[in-house]
Amino acid sequence: MDPGWLVLYVFVFPGLLFLLAYALFMEYVDRKLGARIQNRVGPPFFQPFADLVKLLAKEDITPEDVDPPAMRAIPILAFAAVATAFLYVPVIGSSPLAFPGDLIVVLYLLTLPSILLFLIGWISRSVFSTLGGVRVATQLFIYEVPFFLALLGPALAAGTWTISGIVEWQRANFWVVVFQPIGFIVALIGLQAKLERTPFDIPEAETELVAGPWTELTGRKLALMRLAVDMALVTGAALIAALFLGGPSIPWVLEPGWLATLAGFGSFLVKTLAILFVLAVVRMAMGRVRIDQLNDFGWKYLASAAIVQVLIVLFLNGALIA
Amino acid sequence: MPEVVVPIGPYHPALKEPVNFKVIADGEIIVRLELDLAYNHRGIEKAAEARDFVRVVPLLERVCGICSHSHTTAFCKGIEEAMGVTVPPRGQLIRVIVAELERMHSHLLWLGVAGHEIGFNTLFMWTWRDREVVQDMLEELTGNRVNYGMNAVGGVRRDIEPPLVARCLKRLSPLEERIRKYADMVRHEPTTLARFQGVGRLTKEQALAFGTVGPTARASSVDYDIRRDDPYIGYADIPFDVVTDGQGDVFGRTLVRIGELLQSVRIVRYALENLPPGPVRVNTPRGAPKAEVLSRYEAPRGELAHFIRTNNTDKVERLDIRTPTLANWTSVAVSLVGSNLADIPVVVAAIDPCLSCTSRITIVDPGRRQTSVMSWDELRAHGIDFYRRKEGV
Amino acid sequence: MTNASPLAAEDVMKAMEGLGSVDRARTNRLRVIVSPERVREAILRAQGSLGCDHVIQIGIVDNGRVFELHYHLTGPHRTVVTIKTELPRDDARIASSHDLLPPAGIYERQIHDLFGIVFEGHPNLQRLILTEDWPEDEYPLRKDWTMRPDRRYGGSTPEGT
Repeated sequence: MDPGWLVLYVFVFPGLLFLLAYALFMEYVDRKLGARIQNRVGPPFFQPFADLVKLLAKEDITPEDVDPPAMRAIPILAFAAVATAFLYVPVIGSSPLAFPGDLIVVLYLLTLPSILLFLIGWISRSVFSTLGGVRVATQLFIYEVPFFLALLGPALAAGTWTISGIVEWQRANFWVVVFQPIGFIVALIGLQAKLERTPFDIPEAETELVAGPWTELTGRKLALMRLAVDMALVTGAALIAALFLGGPSIPWVLEPGWLATLAGFGSFLVKTLAILFVLAVVRMAMGRVRIDQLNDFGWKYLASAAIVQVLIVLFLNGALIA
Repeated sequence: MPEVVVPIGPYHPALKEPVNFKVIADGEIIVRLELDLAYNHRGIEKAAEARDFVRVVPLLERVCGICSHSHTTAFCKGIEEAMGVTVPPRGQLIRVIVAELERMHSHLLWLGVAGHEIGFNTLFMWTWRDREVVQDMLEELTGNRVNYGMNAVGGVRRDIEPPLVARCLKRLSPLEERIRKYADMVRHEPTTLARFQGVGRLTKEQALAFGTVGPTARASSVDYDIRRDDPYIGYADIPFDVVTDGQGDVFGRTLVRIGELLQSVRIVRYALENLPPGPVRVNTPRGAPKAEVLSRYEAPRGELAHFIRTNNTDKVERLDIRTPTLANWTSVAVSLVGSNLADIPVVVAAIDPCLSCTSRITIVDPGRRQTSVMSWDELRAHGIDFYRRKEGV
Repeated sequence: MTNASPLAAEDVMKAMEGLGSVDRARTNRLRVIVSPERVREAILRAQGSLGCDHVIQIGIVDNGRVFELHYHLTGPHRTVVTIKTELPRDDARIASSHDLLPPAGIYERQIHDLFGIVFEGHPNLQRLILTEDWPEDEYPLRKDWTMRPDRRYGGSTPEGT
């Protein structure tokens, strides 16, 4: 790819700029949907953007005895990790940066915000943050294994570790969700837990820990961290759309090429919004579980379901080869 | 992880009232609990001694924002008993209507708060929306959404016109439907069940020993309800059931409150339909003869007691208020030890604490002698022992 | 109704025999007047032969001459049995009943804080609702209490400075 186009891809579309805009739009949809379910009016369209600008302008407070560079660096790292992860997820056609094994890199980069959130909680020197941080780490160990296993399924089925490759495979065959429904559901639950949304908002449980690891974040740091989580929502939804729902591809052939690309992009938007819709409804329809209950649920059912799914895929692979 | 002290309050999102818990947690498990409620002492009991009866009533209205009608009714009926005055039946039933609407708005509020405490904000939004209906009715009946200003010694200050009765009756049926829906929702929603069941459990013996009152006690099969046991303002003639439940946990308390909501709808409907004609208020003498009255009242949170001493003057010699929250605190402090950090908000909220009433005068502290009498698990015994050493109780 | 019929005055008289006189204010209010040192015995008898299992309140009145304590108990019979006793103002002390009635521990602390009555045997008669800087020897709900201009109450003087 031409370097100029590459810069455009990374920074403007479908890279950083588009990611920012779409993340804010997703937050708007999420909040508006939640508000309507709760019989409230909900925020106006530009509210997430206004919140971001407001937070960026707010006073930046570093708690006493906290290392300021570390505190400043963590939100930036989280932001950068998610932004990088998004580059490998196909939005229009295949990602030009794709390389064998980029699925692993994306998963790793998506784990980073959680670990960084734990770090923030740990260095904030506030009980709420510390306990929240510990909960983040505990929760990470609970959902991460089933989440990874569930996302392993499509890769095994397609026989490639490239996300774009999996999308290609699905265009040639059929959507992964058709024969891996369990994995799809586990992945959705895992994403919900990763993004710390009800019923898995245990680390930031408002009524117990004020805001958990977020308690001591202010101003720009809070803005960046919130943005990182919004972006993680987009990336996570896009990833699941790519792995299970065929990503930015459409099942039939369109001419000319640009029309096909456009339709693919449209299908990307529709699929990610549909995933968001499911996540938002779940968020609104449930209360928060306790960490010990999540532990039970995560290891007993979620992990077992994911393993069963992987076994089924392996068996099918074997059967197809034979 | 070493023990951590988690301060909850006096400013904390879980409890929108001035109370301070120092929760000492070992990881996620509560080792002990220290309480401090003394942020809101307003000297109302002292102030009551300096005012005549007419001016005490608005003062008592402000003991608590939510059960304002409870305090004034308890006081007025105590003074009426001391004076030997009988309130006309119509006035009595209007008091009942306001009292039961107050119970409904308080329980709906509680249901929402309980949902909020477990992060179920949709339940919170929905119940509070329906609470608006109750508040609108109260506003139409009394002129105010809170602090109704309805009671006066000798009766009530406003009559209810027939069109208003019809309007209120029309609003009751949809409300009842909504309440049934919540009952269904709470019974079946999995996260609610997971967070409510088995949490903060009190056996019947414990509930009795710790002196719990109201829905907290009734959820542990303690069959006390002042409205039936010591009937006042016309409750003797009104058909209703006392709701009890045997589970003794937060879930039981939820079911009891929802059951009481339905009973309140029934009482309000009966009272509206059977309003007798006649005056709503009688004239009373300025002063009251020498007397002492223990006026008991079933407030939304449980038994409220006003001990009133009059002395041939137009002022009370002593007004001693025992609020339901105070009676229930002991059980909370004891039952939380050994449970999960995440359970604090919901267990505390389960007694529906009203700290404004309570720190008007008092505070706390937990279980004495219980170690020798009851077999608690190790941790609980440890917690109580701790209190013994640390607080010396 | 789950329970026994209301208590008759005779039952209470029999149970409280030798402790003090019994009178009745209305149907379900019975009162027995006992001397301070026999309060615990009266509570024990009320719990035993009268079946009282719930303490409603410990009412306290300063009538200008003495302090009156009213232990309001009730039980499955739904009758309020009040045990009344009087304490002299200059030496207001009485045995604590926190071990007989668990919730009484709270009520006694409150009474101690506001009236300065000493409950002997109570393990923790500390300040409860008044602010930490409230003057040690002042009990605001006593009838003869007045603010002293040279002292600070809850952070301010009586003049509000």
